[in-house]
Amino acid sequence: MASVSEMYDVTWEEMRDKLRKWREDNHRNSEQIVDVGEELINEHASKLGDDIWIIYEQVMIAALDCSRDDLAWAARKRKISILKAQGKSAEAIRELNEYLEQFVGDQEAWHELSELYINEHDYGKAAFCLEELMMTNPHNHLYCEQYAEVKYTQGGLENLELSRKYFAQALKLNNRNMRALFGLYMSASHIAASPKVNATVKKANVKYATWATNQINRAYQLAGRGTKENKCSVKAVEEMLESITMS
Amino acid sequence: MRMSIKLTTQAYCKMLLHAAKYPHCAVNGLLVAEKQKEKKKDSHSTPILCVDCIPLFHGTLALAPMLEVALTLIDTWCKENKYVIAGYYQANERTKDFRPNQVAEKVGARIAENFSEAAMIMVDSTRFTMGCYEPILAIYDHHENKWKCRDCNADCFEDWCEAQKITSALLEGRSYESLIDFDNHLDDLRNDWTNPEINKSVLHLC
Repeated sequence: MASVSEMYDVTWEEMRDKLRKWREDNHRNSEQIVDVGEELINEHASKLGDDIWIIYEQVMIAALDCSRDDLAWAARKRKISILKAQGKSAEAIRELNEYLEQFVGDQEAWHELSELYINEHDYGKAAFCLEELMMTNPHNHLYCEQYAEVKYTQGGLENLELSRKYFAQALKLNNRNMRALFGLYMSASHIAASPKVNATVKKANVKYATWATNQINRAYQLAGRGTKENKCSVKAVEEMLESITMS
Repeated sequence: MRMSIKLTTQAYCKMLLHAAKYPHCAVNGLLVAEKQKEKKKDSHSTPILCVDCIPLFHGTLALAPMLEVALTLIDTWCKENKYVIAGYYQANERTKDFRPNQVAEKVGARIAENFSEAAMIMVDSTRFTMGCYEPILAIYDHHENKWKCRDCNADCFEDWCEAQKITSALLEGRSYESLIDFDNHLDDLRNDWTNPEINKSVLHLC
């Protein structure tokens, strides 16, 4: 299939200028915009400079008109990636949120948004994104474990207890998830050490932490090459166990 | 008179290999130094020598639990080997901003609690080249609760020529593909974050 530039014998600059004219005159010739715009984006993106933003918008709207969902989606995602690479997190977040209002089922996008929020230290919103992912993927141990990490980072007794529950859930889904195992140990230990909990809660959490330590110990033995590093990790784990039973 | 920090070839090498392995991600890690036996009277003139580097994470650096696990385990390893955690390094995702962010300051402050001359190192990925012609680090010292940037030049290395030559060779040889960080270790416990093979390669090229 011949390209637009070949069929009409035009340069990329002429294509860009044509798009601008159509924008200024408010032309709704969506099919033409899609043909010209798609080629411009795919072949000449690096030459477009700041114009690229408005061209993405224009092509995206035209693409939706033509039911070219794939192009609209690709243009949007491209724009978001560029914003991320430029360090423009706030804009990338805004764009991703807008995108997700339309494409609510896009898991990759939800995950990317959660990462952007984590990097901005907005743990509450990151948790929300992960909750969406857990709802639609209840068997995915990674989402569970990441949610637990976010809750742990948020801190406070309630969040710590939630994080412990979700680390445990991740382990139920995959008993070899080391992050979940370590997470269970850390959250249970912190809860047990907190002055705000009563004796029953403390006892229960010491039990969870001890169980986790034993599992961690076992995992290291299994991986066991008996190398220097491995012995040190095992030793560290043993020291962790001691610190729990002493408290 | 602030004690300056110096890096060995092995420490610098592994830092750069870590950044090279994950060019599209932020990475971070720890630097360790040999524990000083006793505070000598003229100790102010001896710089701290960071002999090794432990790569920690790549991707999302801003979550607490695994960082705490890493710090605990590595602390124990240090005690066994008469090392002390002396510094922290971070390379941001490829943005033009390589100043320390909240994560770097938090971890840096935590290390400084146990080691007053702790240094924070930011790696400037935008100046990354295979040839390693110039040191691409910014070194920060902890001073009155703030991090102050110090000029990084050949003096910050035990032997800059050696560091430059060996790092460049390992980058060209793609040694970074076999570099293990703590994240890799959590994915599979058999992955060794002390990177003995890479240490051997460095020694071999010296």
